[in-house]
Amino acid sequence: MGVTKEQLESTLTSKLNPQHLEVTDTSGGCGASFVIDIVSERFEGKRLLERHRLVNAALEEEMKEIHALSIKKVLTPQQWKQQQEESEKSKSAA
Amino acid sequence: MAAINLPFIHSPPSLQIFSIKSPQSTSKFLLFSQSIASPLLSSSSKLYTTAKARASSLIAFAARNLSESELNSVPETAGEIAGKFPSDAGVYAVYDKDGDVQFIGITRSIAGSVATHWKSVPELCVSVKFGVVDEPDRTTLTQAWKSWMEEHIKATGKVPPGNESGNATWVRQPPKKKADLRLTPGRHVQLTVPLEELIDQLVKENKVVAFIKGSRSAPLCGFSQRVIGILEAEGVDYESVDVLDEEYNNGLRESLKTYSNWPTFPQIFVDGQLIGGCDILSSMHEKGELAGLFKN
Repeated sequence: MGVTKEQLESTLTSKLNPQHLEVTDTSGGCGASFVIDIVSERFEGKRLLERHRLVNAALEEEMKEIHALSIKKVLTPQQWKQQQEESEKSKSAA
Repeated sequence: MAAINLPFIHSPPSLQIFSIKSPQSTSKFLLFSQSIASPLLSSSSKLYTTAKARASSLIAFAARNLSESELNSVPETAGEIAGKFPSDAGVYAVYDKDGDVQFIGITRSIAGSVATHWKSVPELCVSVKFGVVDEPDRTTLTQAWKSWMEEHIKATGKVPPGNESGNATWVRQPPKKKADLRLTPGRHVQLTVPLEELIDQLVKENKVVAFIKGSRSAPLCGFSQRVIGILEAEGVDYESVDVLDEEYNNGLRESLKTYSNWPTFPQIFVDGQLIGGCDILSSMHEKGELAGLFKN
């Protein structure tokens, strides 16, 4: 039953070739609820909805077992770089 | 004192307290009752002075029965209202253009309430009588209201229309929650069109539709709850559909997933287009992108 964090990671890695990927199991280990941060070139030029669709489609099989999937960050490498630089800045500013 | 006051007091509760001298009755309560009675005692100047002095030291609800309060016409702008009426707590009566009492209410801010009423029903809110209540605890305010109501009912034989039960014109109520939309008349009714078509109609006929788990007043999943929270915060008029309602939305979950090609709930549609789920809505909300979307 359930899906593991590793399963999700390997599926997403193979299908979306992410530059950065962070899967967090928020179900407390029962494999029903995950939060995903993903950065991939595949998202270039795509709206938020389409990006989510890509992730959802990649996880089609897994979704049958998952109750809740929260895609927190779905960014292009460029956006991710920007975000990181901004957070660096705010850190150094603080 | 009690013997003199008795014939003059209108309200039965006060009368009761005076006559039985209930040990629970607080001094404030007694003073309050005196203060109502005081204008009626004006023939006896000595008593009047005593009562007035005591009342003014503690309670400003003196000499403020309904008939003797001054009638103030309501000015045309919110600013003037704030200038003309005190922002103190008290009791007030709203009169229409014919001079009939429409509503008697109590408030934490007389000016605030008058402004609110004037804004919502200007045609019924032409002039206002008010009585400021010092030390406005709930009991004192309620008593003030009761005495005005009783006075009005005694004089006219009827309850002000705005105070009749079921009249929601004057009382600020929490925004009424709409009912959730139902897709079908019930699970045992054979549909003549596919469910997808009903979904299609629904999302195209309504500007904003949220398909959620549970009802809008009691969402059953955290994500649905967040979506409702965001929509309420945006102040947008939206429809909701409970995808867990097996009776009236039987089969909706599967059909909707296919229709929208979206695997999870909640799902939010604007102008017939899927916007996304909770994550997308949250993100757009944070970036302030929703207002524009809902406006057009």
